[in-house]
Amino acid sequence: MFADSRFDYLHSVRFFLSYTATPVYWVADMPARTSELFDDVFVSHSDLLAENERLNNELLLAQRELQVLASLASENSRLRALSEAVRIVEGEVLAAEIVNRSPDRASKRVLINRGALQGVFVGQAMLAADGLMGQVVEVMPRSSWVLLVSDPLHVTPVEVNRNGERALARGVRGAADELELEFVTQTQDVRAGDLLVSSGMGQIFPKNFPVADVISVNNDPGQDFAVIKARPRAEINSTRHVMLLIPPRVHETPVPDVEAPASEVQP
Amino acid sequence: MKSRSYTYWVVIISLFLAYLLAIVPLPDWAMNWRPQWVLMFVFYWTMALPYRVGLGFAWAAGLLLDVLEGTMLGLNALTLLIVAYVTLSLHQRLRMYNPIQQSGLLFILALVALGLSHWLRVISGQIEPVDSMYLLAAFSSAAIWPALFSLLRSLRRGFIKN
Repeated sequence: MFADSRFDYLHSVRFFLSYTATPVYWVADMPARTSELFDDVFVSHSDLLAENERLNNELLLAQRELQVLASLASENSRLRALSEAVRIVEGEVLAAEIVNRSPDRASKRVLINRGALQGVFVGQAMLAADGLMGQVVEVMPRSSWVLLVSDPLHVTPVEVNRNGERALARGVRGAADELELEFVTQTQDVRAGDLLVSSGMGQIFPKNFPVADVISVNNDPGQDFAVIKARPRAEINSTRHVMLLIPPRVHETPVPDVEAPASEVQP
Repeated sequence: MKSRSYTYWVVIISLFLAYLLAIVPLPDWAMNWRPQWVLMFVFYWTMALPYRVGLGFAWAAGLLLDVLEGTMLGLNALTLLIVAYVTLSLHQRLRMYNPIQQSGLLFILALVALGLSHWLRVISGQIEPVDSMYLLAAFSSAAIWPALFSLLRSLRRGFIKN
């Protein structure tokens, strides 16, 4: 036990033991898959029509926004070229599904159905459609454990979208899915309702990806720092479909073979 | 010899069920009440078949549970080892007890296992300490034990001939 938590060599043992875990995960996920299947099969014609219309509307909106975005992006790249800043390269994503969650309340982790065989590695960022969700902490052959941003041991480097104030967002203890901004002085400009985006520091998460909304700022003169709470953007408890970010650096190199990610992991 | 390996298959398949029950996702309010399934199954089999299911079995079962739950290797192996050791040394007395009395001992064992595993994970930095609500699982384990006991006993009598 001590050896596992402190040294590296047991990771390969763990990796091969987890081959036996795969069928158990698969069977445990069956109720959820079955209910999804039923939802897909038993859907009425009118529901489908309504959904189609809604999706078309959303597509129109998205396309219009995309056109605005394109002009903004070109303007942005011109400005960046002026300031000689590093260009942000957008990585590709790997679609995954959440199939289980950690059985104990103390750690907020989820299990996804992609593993080393699909090229997942420790430290990979996981995104939902509406916000950042977490990072991979353990890779098994066909599944991986992801530490959520709301875990008390997870710290996300963020900045306030409005003015670029930087902070560290740590998950709160207990059941609530909330984040707390650490070490923000009471004079720093953070208000309730501000959007927190990832700052890209720490080099795990992409820059400027929405993370959380500030819900309360409490300036208590008796304390050193302001007490700031934020709620994650991603629907952490109800999302099933997520994305794993493939950074360009990894994309260029050939996909590592099966043992490589397990032996190289540094939690 | 043939019946002996057959016995092991019954034990292993029942343990597979315990693993399933241990990791099936539950709603938030039920998480703290999830009984210690694998612990209860190890408790039963070491009590019922002490000469075939022993410490090594409990250790291996715990190791697999560690892999399933993503905890550090050896955590559940250690707690199940303690459970199996106590059960083995008391199995003759335990068989005389009725299921209600057995669930008393099971309650204490589950409490020790839960507390020890939480404490070990906190001092090794795997989790942040939480409130003591996680100990509720010991109550639910003890409450469900009489039913599980009669179920597993009928399973044993149906499939395993001593």
